[in-house]
Amino acid sequence: MTSPTIVPAVFYKDPIAALRWLEKAFGFEIASLITDADGRLAHSELTYKGGALNVGGEWEGPIVGPARMRSPQTVEGINTQFVRIHLDDGLDDHCARARAAGARIVDEPTDQFYGSRTYRALDPEGHVWNFSQEVRVVSGEEMEKATGLKIHTSLEDV
Amino acid sequence: MEIKRPSLCAVVCYQDPKAALDWLERALGFELHMLIEDAEGRPLHAEMRFGDSLIMVGSEWTDDHRSPRALGGKNTGGVHVQLDADIDAHCARAQAAGAEIVRELVTMPYGDRTYACRDPEGHIWSIGQTVATMGRADHEASGVRVVAWP
Repeated sequence: MTSPTIVPAVFYKDPIAALRWLEKAFGFEIASLITDADGRLAHSELTYKGGALNVGGEWEGPIVGPARMRSPQTVEGINTQFVRIHLDDGLDDHCARARAAGARIVDEPTDQFYGSRTYRALDPEGHVWNFSQEVRVVSGEEMEKATGLKIHTSLEDV
Repeated sequence: MEIKRPSLCAVVCYQDPKAALDWLERALGFELHMLIEDAEGRPLHAEMRFGDSLIMVGSEWTDDHRSPRALGGKNTGGVHVQLDADIDAHCARAQAAGAEIVRELVTMPYGDRTYACRDPEGHIWSIGQTVATMGRADHEASGVRVVAWP
């Protein structure tokens, strides 16, 4: 079977500072870092528990058409995409580490009805990071019963 | 279907997440993996899979989550999808489904064939496939000096 990989990217006004902060606060590791002759970031890849993430500066140009890649700081804290991180364990400790590094914890660690414990943090430029750890297995039927929600696995019956 | 839940997952915000699910299926070949709706049929949580990878499709669920459409085309994040095969067919399918191809399909000097498209709400999707493994001789043939090579 083919195994395509999906890699999210996030954009910063100061991507080098962001790399340092993501390393310190969340424990992400730098897998590759390419700078230009002036020391500006050209390309970077971070890894964390088998996943990968690209960090870039603010940019625009013909290869993205009319789009402009911007930090949330430039657009009043708004995010058009964000990243969810799955932890095997240690969510509360992870949150404590992030807070100590200056993350703004906007949702404290909480158990959710779907069986995960989650917390939500903002980094210094306002990107949203959702951390999640499975603490209980909840079946679709159980969730539907507990919440009144409808759960689908195909667009056919929507 | 059992998938390997990725440790890092992109969540992409849309004004009309249901239309996005449909578009991502038609244009990029993603498949719906999970969709949870409230009693009025509004999506609360949606996951799409591509091979063994996942993305989540979200709404403008707080004042701080907006589609690029609401921001004059600004994006605070992007998604790259790395294929194993058939990128030309993938690009043709996206184009046929109305994707705006912003970076035409091209083979880059580093050995990846890539293209990028913009979806109806303005998110940028970058697609790539490694088509040539670059060895030391390939780099030297291009005129550069290889100082060190593993």
